[in-house]
Amino acid sequence: MAGEGEAEAMEIIDTAAGSATLGAATEAMETRGPVRRQDRVAGLGANAARRRYGDVRELIASRENPTPLVRLNRVVPPDAEAFLKLEWMNPFGSIKDRTARYLLDGMRERGELEGRELVEATSGNTGIALAALAALAGIPLTVTIPSGVPQEKLVLLRMLGATVMPTPDDLCPVDNPRDGAIALARAVAESPAHRGRYAMPNQYANPDNVRAHYETTGPEIWEQTEGRVRAFVAGYGTCGTITGVGRFLKERDPSIRIVAVEPQLGHRLPGLKNLQEAKAPGILDRSVIDDVVRVDDAHAYAMAKRLFREEGLIVGPSTGAIVEAVASLGTEGWGAGLAVGVSPDGGQKYASFYADYLGEEGAAR
Amino acid sequence: MTDRIVDVARAVAPTADLELDCKGLLCPLPVYRTAQALNRLAAGQVLRVECTDPGSLADFPALARQRRLTLISATEQGGVQVFHLRKEAE
Repeated sequence: MAGEGEAEAMEIIDTAAGSATLGAATEAMETRGPVRRQDRVAGLGANAARRRYGDVRELIASRENPTPLVRLNRVVPPDAEAFLKLEWMNPFGSIKDRTARYLLDGMRERGELEGRELVEATSGNTGIALAALAALAGIPLTVTIPSGVPQEKLVLLRMLGATVMPTPDDLCPVDNPRDGAIALARAVAESPAHRGRYAMPNQYANPDNVRAHYETTGPEIWEQTEGRVRAFVAGYGTCGTITGVGRFLKERDPSIRIVAVEPQLGHRLPGLKNLQEAKAPGILDRSVIDDVVRVDDAHAYAMAKRLFREEGLIVGPSTGAIVEAVASLGTEGWGAGLAVGVSPDGGQKYASFYADYLGEEGAAR
Repeated sequence: MTDRIVDVARAVAPTADLELDCKGLLCPLPVYRTAQALNRLAAGQVLRVECTDPGSLADFPALARQRRLTLISATEQGGVQVFHLRKEAE
């Protein structure tokens, strides 16, 4: 069975990680780290049909274990056939679980992880997924974070044992202000004083980010819609999702519409990028994108609130922007056909942002 | 920019309350570590930073303008830039 095959693959990865990490990391694993597999008592094996897993990593979405596709019934026009792909059903809470797994697997295969630590720039979700996977493999992780990331994410990263470096917008006056965290992570990775101790997955330029979505998210959407998908909507972020899924779907049918969502300047939608204030990531392939829809914060947050209240979907703010774009596809009669939007993460990590947005609303007096 | 550096270098470098070795660190790490170190200093105290990334020559004057800092001196010798920064009162 597919699920069991995957469990075995995971076991190999686990062993490789244990022997590949040298020095302090290995020592930590042996003295206070998790119980090693060979020491563990044999028990119930993994059984995907019963949703029983031998390791949390087996829960990361794949063609055999796709994230759910849920129909939007109230926030889109009545004649619309629109679905949301709930990426927060991944074990570490976001679409970035896929990315992090591919990034680390790729680095491990190329021998880039041996005896090294990790450093990455992230607005949080990639960091959280990387931190969980790195912790399981006994690899220390440092994360550089742009300003404007909610406190909740920083705390999760620290709970997972990552070292967090918040990067003020004015840190690097020479570079793009919003890319300071990327510059800082690169400096950590490349500074001669660190003697190559740090490896940087660099999700913005690493083709494995695109591959994660080309090999999993894209095929899942195609199979879950039984090939009927006509439009796909995702945000400009690292651009792994839009490029990977876009490329896969265009190969199936070039007439499938690929729609990118771009936030306003100075937005408050972590994970999304306005490409005027941030550099376009190296992995972005504009040739697969048909339309760019701009959504401002007011509309994104208003839609997020509607998703909570009208669809029962506890989503992060970027999902609000993406669904706002999905809803706009059918303004002149729903000619869009079956549309799929991505919900990159859930709402729990944005409690502080939503508190600001709500103000006094809903607070009993 | 070089003129300006030479100009301020004429000031006599004072004794430092805290020293930071940022040799071999690429921009913006020296500025980042300096900003962190400033949190440990009281107003009026002086920080001495050694850097080797040429980008620092532009970064430290900019940092001083952004934060409540005075760049007392900036010198370069044998590829090592030395900055003295005084933290000012809020």
